[in-house]
Amino acid sequence: MNNNIIEIKQLTKQFPVGSSFFTALRDIILTFDKGEFTGLVGPSGSGKTTLLNIIGSLDTPSKGEAIVLGKSISKLTHKEAAQLRNRHIGFIFQTFNLLPVYTVFENIEFALLLQHLSAGQRKKAVMEALEWVGLTDKAKSKPAQLSGGESQRVAIARAMVKRPELVIADEPTANLDSENSHHILKTMKQLNRDLKVSFLFATHDEKVMQYLDRKIILKDGKVVEDNVLEAINL
Amino acid sequence: MIQFIFKGIIRDRSRSTLPIIVVSIGVFLTVLLSGWMKGIFTDMIDMNANFSTGHVKIITRAYAENESQIPNDLALLGTDTLVPLLQKQFPQAEWVERIQFGGLLDVPDKNGETRAQGPAFGKGIDFSSPESKEASRLNIQHSLVQGTLPTKRGEAIITDDFAKRFNVKPGDKVTVFGSTMDGSMAFKTFIVSGTVRFGSTLLDRGAIIIDLADARDMLDMDNAASEVLGYLKTGQYNDEEANAIRDSFNTKYSNPSDEFSPVAQTLRQQNSLGQYLDMAENMSAIMTFIFVFAMSIVLWNSGLLAGLRRYTEYGIRLALGENKGHIYKTMIYEAILIGIIGTIIGSIIGLAATYYLQEVGLDFSSMTKNVTMMLPPVYKAKITPELFYIGFFPGLIATVLGNALAGFAIYKRKTARLFRELEV
Ligand SMILES: Nc1ncnc2c1ncn2[C@@H]1O[C@H](COP(=O)(O)OP(=O)(O)OP(=O)(O)O)[C@@H](O)[C@H]1O
Ligand SMILES: [Mg+2]
Repeated sequence: MNNNIIEIKQLTKQFPVGSSFFTALRDIILTFDKGEFTGLVGPSGSGKTTLLNIIGSLDTPSKGEAIVLGKSISKLTHKEAAQLRNRHIGFIFQTFNLLPVYTVFENIEFALLLQHLSAGQRKKAVMEALEWVGLTDKAKSKPAQLSGGESQRVAIARAMVKRPELVIADEPTANLDSENSHHILKTMKQLNRDLKVSFLFATHDEKVMQYLDRKIILKDGKVVEDNVLEAINL
Repeated sequence: MIQFIFKGIIRDRSRSTLPIIVVSIGVFLTVLLSGWMKGIFTDMIDMNANFSTGHVKIITRAYAENESQIPNDLALLGTDTLVPLLQKQFPQAEWVERIQFGGLLDVPDKNGETRAQGPAFGKGIDFSSPESKEASRLNIQHSLVQGTLPTKRGEAIITDDFAKRFNVKPGDKVTVFGSTMDGSMAFKTFIVSGTVRFGSTLLDRGAIIIDLADARDMLDMDNAASEVLGYLKTGQYNDEEANAIRDSFNTKYSNPSDEFSPVAQTLRQQNSLGQYLDMAENMSAIMTFIFVFAMSIVLWNSGLLAGLRRYTEYGIRLALGENKGHIYKTMIYEAILIGIIGTIIGSIIGLAATYYLQEVGLDFSSMTKNVTMMLPPVYKAKITPELFYIGFFPGLIATVLGNALAGFAIYKRKTARLFRELEV
């Protein structure tokens, strides 16, 4: 086994637009190693979200291949893709996307419920995840009672609670102020270091850049730059 | 997982309130209308049984052919041996003799001259035997408007409408003119002991009820009767039991080639009561069907709306690794939970309302004034054991069907599309 967790080969993604196609990603070739903290950067419409969705097994390539954790995304059945997400991939969104009727605890617990873990195991894992993000006292709160920064930290805990190999974060700081952005980036960086989880971002945010140890620039669906950076050390 | 769904339903009112209200109303109406219609049909059938058809009726073959004309020349003979025979052979039923007759009711003035006259329908029933239940069977005591039941021979009850029309009061005399069994003229004078109103126009128009013995006397019908009626001792008409009596009686005692030989008919065979019996039987099924249909459509639409509002939730759950089949399944579980909650609420309210209508009923007699069918005056509901569970059929079928249809739209959507809706 090598160290690479994502392998993208000649990946093209086209969306039907009227009677023709719009090419959102064109011949992408990329590999990601375990433990990376990488950002996809580029102007709006450059294809960042599209690429993340494919890596996250929410969408499939039109041409080429995306192999994530040893599985070819285009060959997965709907159920297998769900299984891959449930066990191995965590998601963090720009708009937090917590389920409003459930408490912080229940939001984080949900993924474990799908894994049929016992109540005791679930409680232990959820409380541990809340500790990582420093929100153990908010376990019983509803999402509406949280600030934006707290909500995003809950979302991080939700992504992390199942101990995934990969966390995909699409513009995680776009709805946060500067202080909260730095806070959550530090949290993610720590988790990346301590738990060896790979993080893959899509972002415009300059604040994010200083935390990245690799930056891939997309433009019009193509990779135009791919640089290893000297990231801040915490 | 069920707990997770249950919390969602309880906490998110928009997800549960409307469907629960719809289910409750539907179940409420199903229970109430089933109970009420069942009550009405049962009362109607009972009333017909009590006044006219019995559970089993025995008449001569010839009488049966012209029953509407009350041809007493074709009446049953030898009832003094027939009735004891029936009691012995078919002890599961009570057997009573009745005489029906048509005639003219004449109201004399002080001098014995005719003051008023009108056609009347007459009934001779057993008032005098101590064990006779006939007066209560015809509900005479409760239908009395003035006066009392006959207490001795020579007294009669007339309908109140008739009494009003001819200004007759209890204690007045009336003379009945009719014809005897062998066609000669018959008349007898009675003292009116009371007046009754049954609430059924057909019965109330003009009738006189006298003691069976007086009728025999007047019409020369010793040991004869227009009909012998059998009432099952359970008090409830039952096809199987009635058929058994009829078949057994007809094979033993009825001779198709002798028009004076007796023949037994069940309640189902008379006055097109078969139809009503079937409706009473199937009322719950009919109501359930109607409400399953109506509620499914409402719930399907409200489910679609709720589903649209919840695209975000489904998108998140997909991202968290739930598969669509599982999401679909949880929607069905939700439907079942909502169906159960709504059914319980609807059934409780429905049973309470049915109970009220069972005890009190609604008086429609003014609306059915000109109806010639024998209808009960007050429409009462009837609580039957099935009312306690029938609500679950429309309640559960409609919610599950509604959610299944609504969920299908979501199920068919592409993961990426559902997910994309997260971002807006
Ligand atoms: N389902 C779709 N159908 C048609 N076109 C689509 C679809 N999804 C994305 N696109 C198009 O593909 C291109 C890339 O979209 P994508 O969302 O990946 O951009 P992005 O880099 O994430 O932009 P942003 O920074 O604004 O989030 C856009 O032009 C978009 O309009
Ligand atoms: Mg995007």
